[in-house]
Amino acid sequence: MRTEFIRIYKSVHTWTGILSGLALFIAFYAGALTVFKEEIVRWAAPPAAIAATDLAQAHELIARTLAEHPEAARDFKLHLQPAEHLPAPMSWSIKPPDADEHDSLAGRHYLATLDAAGLPAVSETQPSQLGELIDILHRVVGLPFDNDPNRWLMGVIAVLYALALISGVIVLLPSLVKDLFALRVGKNLKRMWLDAHNVVGFISLPFHVVFALTAAVFAFHDGLYALQDHLLYDGRIKEMLRPVGGAKPQARSFDPATMLPPAELVARVQAVVPDFVPDTLQYLQATGPRPVVRVWGHDPQAISPRAPGGFAVVDPYGGRLLSTDYLPGKQDAASTTVSSFFALHFATFGGTPVRWMYFLLGLAGAWLFYSGNLLWIESRRRKQRAENAAPEQRRDFRLLGALTIGTCLGCISGISFAIVAAKGLHGRVDDLNAWLWYVYYACFFAAIGWAFNRGAARAAVDLLWLSAGATLAIPLSSLLALLWPALGLWVNLSTASLGVDVTALLGSLALAWMARETARRARIGPQDSVWSDTQMRNRDTVS
Amino acid sequence: MTKPISSIRRDWVAKTLAGLLLGLVLALAGSGLFVHFASGIGSSVRVQLAMWLVMPVWLGVLGGSYFFHSGARAWLWLGAAAILLVGALASVRLL
Repeated sequence: MRTEFIRIYKSVHTWTGILSGLALFIAFYAGALTVFKEEIVRWAAPPAAIAATDLAQAHELIARTLAEHPEAARDFKLHLQPAEHLPAPMSWSIKPPDADEHDSLAGRHYLATLDAAGLPAVSETQPSQLGELIDILHRVVGLPFDNDPNRWLMGVIAVLYALALISGVIVLLPSLVKDLFALRVGKNLKRMWLDAHNVVGFISLPFHVVFALTAAVFAFHDGLYALQDHLLYDGRIKEMLRPVGGAKPQARSFDPATMLPPAELVARVQAVVPDFVPDTLQYLQATGPRPVVRVWGHDPQAISPRAPGGFAVVDPYGGRLLSTDYLPGKQDAASTTVSSFFALHFATFGGTPVRWMYFLLGLAGAWLFYSGNLLWIESRRRKQRAENAAPEQRRDFRLLGALTIGTCLGCISGISFAIVAAKGLHGRVDDLNAWLWYVYYACFFAAIGWAFNRGAARAAVDLLWLSAGATLAIPLSSLLALLWPALGLWVNLSTASLGVDVTALLGSLALAWMARETARRARIGPQDSVWSDTQMRNRDTVS
Repeated sequence: MTKPISSIRRDWVAKTLAGLLLGLVLALAGSGLFVHFASGIGSSVRVQLAMWLVMPVWLGVLGGSYFFHSGARAWLWLGAAAILLVGALASVRLL
């Protein structure tokens, strides 16, 4: 390959990387946490008596609740495994008609269970937005609203990301064998960081290709469908997309009391797919002309078609299996191909080990973008030194350094503080969900301001300690809850919730280690670096 | 046949636009051909696969467009490919 092309692609890599790197850092860090979104929400969920679902009673619960609340029949769920954040077996939401399809928290939310006397006890509930906060930051590059313009912005970032991947591989290819298996740890720090950037980038390349493509598709699929509808399907795309598998249910009267018991519906599905582990029964139009139940769940042996898992469609009255189009392991080859795109993005295959792998790869990805920005600064620093013996660094390097530090560490500490606030502010403020956003953005912008004010080198140390502290506060709040119950904190003792505590503890240790190393480098590292304290001291004495 | 290295022009805007616009045309035409020939797949899944097909082709063309020696050549080659593909699609749909 001509060296000239390598140089051209190096420019492509540099500029697409610089333009998208910080947004991608947020997308990847928040995305890694989104893998364990439910566990984080369960960690923060206030204490409640979890009413275990007694499948024998569930039939009665549904019939009696629907008799009192017919409006729930449109779309309600029966949770087979209630947890901290969903303490009752039955739930439904009444959404305003103009709610965005992605806004799962819009409207009013209700829970129902049977009380001791066997009567339905219905209560309104306000689901925590903590999981959505992390997920929305992940989906729309750190912005607070998941709407069309923000999704398109994310799409542009994904396109830049794809270009950065293609160009990065092209730049690396000629020296691949020489560079890939060499991590030259030594005096030349820039070489070491570049080697590390290359090896992490290249080894996780398949993972990144998946994310660049799926993220671009998720951002632009509405537009692409509209274009194709116009060009290829003569405006008939809606009817073409409608699933075929929809045998009509047989029942004539739609009285919920005559529905089959949930245990029976679950049994009918498991007769077809024995490995399938159902977790939720979603009843749609239970009293309408086309009543169906989606039996949602996971199959560790198969890939799940969508983010929440996969489902079988069952007739709740006759018990017939109406469709297996979205049932893991029962899809045809073409549907499985489409499902695999979703599964590869949402880590909904292979169970918990794969989710941990995605978590770690997500963090590695975040590090990749962070190190990319640092390399940009470092490479330009060297050029600077050759021209000028007294290396006062150029202003734009200092600013990009500060912006990188402030954005990345502001995001890390902001999310940690928001998680802590979900517990710490519970019952102390009126609108907890709004406060989570205030806490996140206050921390995020304060970190950026601090980084500009103090300069990258010093702020990096401060903000790494802040991130370590904020993350340590997660397990610390659990410990405090155990030691001083009078504080009004609480600790959930499920494996999921304790897993969050342990992971946060390890994360805070890692951040503290980075803070110590960064401080050491600022003191004794090369003095012409933006990461050196000396730079800052020089500027202080000048001004 | 060795041209001097300086014969490669950067032409950032022209190459990027060629990759973006003609890449989209190529990708859409390609997805159209897929829809036509993959008629054995159920319509709902076929429509979804055809949509998923657009991005890899589009981004692949965009990513490769800087390998052209100049912006003009990028437009020429990608334009020719686009005419070919759109022509192929139009003829299979009409026949």
